[in-house]
Amino acid sequence: MRPFEYYSPRTLSEACNLLAEGEPDSKILAGGTDVLVEMRKSSAWSSKAIVDITRIPSLRGIGESGDWIIIKPLTTHTEVLHSDLVRTHAPLLQTAVSTIGSPQIRNRGTVGGNIMNAAACADTVPPLIALDAEIMLKSTSGERVIALSEFFVKPYVTVARRDEILVEVRFPKLPANARSSFVKLGRRNALSIARLSVAAVVCKDEAGVVTDARIVPGAAFPRWQRVPEAEKLLIGQKPSKELLVEGGKKVSEVMISFTGRRWSTEYKEPVIAVLVRRALEACE
Amino acid sequence: MMKSIVITTTINKRKHELEVHPNTTLLDLLRDELGLTGTKRGCEAGECGACTILMNGQAVNSCLVLAPQIDGQEILTIEGLADGDKLHPLQESFLDHDAVHCGFCTPGMLMSAKSLLDRNASPTELEVRTAISGNLCRCTGYQQIVDAVLETEPVKRET
Repeated sequence: MRPFEYYSPRTLSEACNLLAEGEPDSKILAGGTDVLVEMRKSSAWSSKAIVDITRIPSLRGIGESGDWIIIKPLTTHTEVLHSDLVRTHAPLLQTAVSTIGSPQIRNRGTVGGNIMNAAACADTVPPLIALDAEIMLKSTSGERVIALSEFFVKPYVTVARRDEILVEVRFPKLPANARSSFVKLGRRNALSIARLSVAAVVCKDEAGVVTDARIVPGAAFPRWQRVPEAEKLLIGQKPSKELLVEGGKKVSEVMISFTGRRWSTEYKEPVIAVLVRRALEACE
Repeated sequence: MMKSIVITTTINKRKHELEVHPNTTLLDLLRDELGLTGTKRGCEAGECGACTILMNGQAVNSCLVLAPQIDGQEILTIEGLADGDKLHPLQESFLDHDAVHCGFCTPGMLMSAKSLLDRNASPTELEVRTAISGNLCRCTGYQQIVDAVLETEPVKRET
C-alpha cells in the first residue's frame, strides 16, 4: 500500500475542517470494504490522505422522527439487518442488506459508504430510492439536502463535492398498506455482486386497487431511477398475472431506450423483465 | 515522511501498546509485526475469509481494517481461541469431524463459527451456513465443517 497521511477526527466539525483545509486529495474512510480494496491497487489509487470518520459517534445509529426513519451513514449493514425500525417500516431495505457481501463485510460495510462509493451494484440504493430517500451532505460551508434519485451522475460519480460528508440518510416510513420487495440476481449466493436487481413498493386500497407503485431497477440503467412508465401501468388496476408480466416488459423496454442495444442486452432484456415481475409478485 | 501512530489495543486478552504505520492493515500487523501467523493471508479483497478475526466480538476481515483503526478495540485471533493447552470445543469438534483438510481456511472458519456460537448457542444448519458464507473452503465441500459447528459441545460463553 502506498504511504498516505492518516487522520482520525473525533468530531464532525473537525472532519469538515480537515476536508476543507487539509490535503486536497484526501479520501473519506468509513467501513473500508471498498476503499481498502482500491488502495491496494496502487495503479488506481492516488489519494494522499485518509480521513477516517469511524471515530465520530454522531454518525452512527438508526432512529425515527415522526413519520421518518433516519439512518446515520456509519450504520453497518449488520445493524440495518437487526433493526426493528427498518423491519417494520422498510422491509425491502432489510432484504437488500441481507444480500450484501458476507457476514464479515456486513459487519464493517456501512450504508453511507455504499451510497458514496456509488458502484452500479450498490444494493442499498434501489430500495432507498424506492423509499423516496433524501440525504444530507455537510461541509464547512453548510448543509444541503438532496433527493437520493438526484444524487448520482453515473457509476462511481455523484454530485457530492470533495469536501462534503454524508451525515444523514432519511426516508418516510412506508404506509401501513404498502408491500415491498427486493430481488437480486448474482452469480452465487454468498458475496454476490448484483448483476441486476429490482426494488419495488406497491400500495393498494381495500378493494385491491393499486394506489401507488414504485419500481427501481439496480445495475440496469446508467443511473438509478424509478420507472414511471411501468408504475403507471399498475396504478388504478387490480394486478393480474398478465399485468405484472406487462410491467416487467415495460421496464425492459425503458431500460433499452436508455442504454441502447449492447452485447449484454440479449441477456438483460428478458431477465430484467422477469425480475420486475418477481419483485411485483412478492408485493402481492 | 509518513508518521507512525501509537495505539493501545487488546489482542487475545493482552494489552498492547504498538507503533503502527497507517498504510498497513490489521492482517499485516498480526502476521508481520506480532508473529501471529495463524491468521491467513488469502485474497486481500474481503472475499475469501481466510484472514477472519473477531473485533469486539464481530467477525471481520483483517485485510480490510487499517492497523490504526484497532486503537482501543478488542481483537481475538485464532491464537487466542484455545485456553492454554485446552482446545476450544469448536476446535475439538473440527478434529472429531475431519473438518480440516489442507487447513488454510480453518482459522477463519473457526473465528466465524465462534462469532455465531457466542450469539446463538444452538444454531440451525441454515444459520451455520450463513455464518460461514464469507469463508471459502476448497477441500471439504463444507459439510464436515457445518457438522462440526452444529455438534460443538455447548460451552459457557466467555465475554
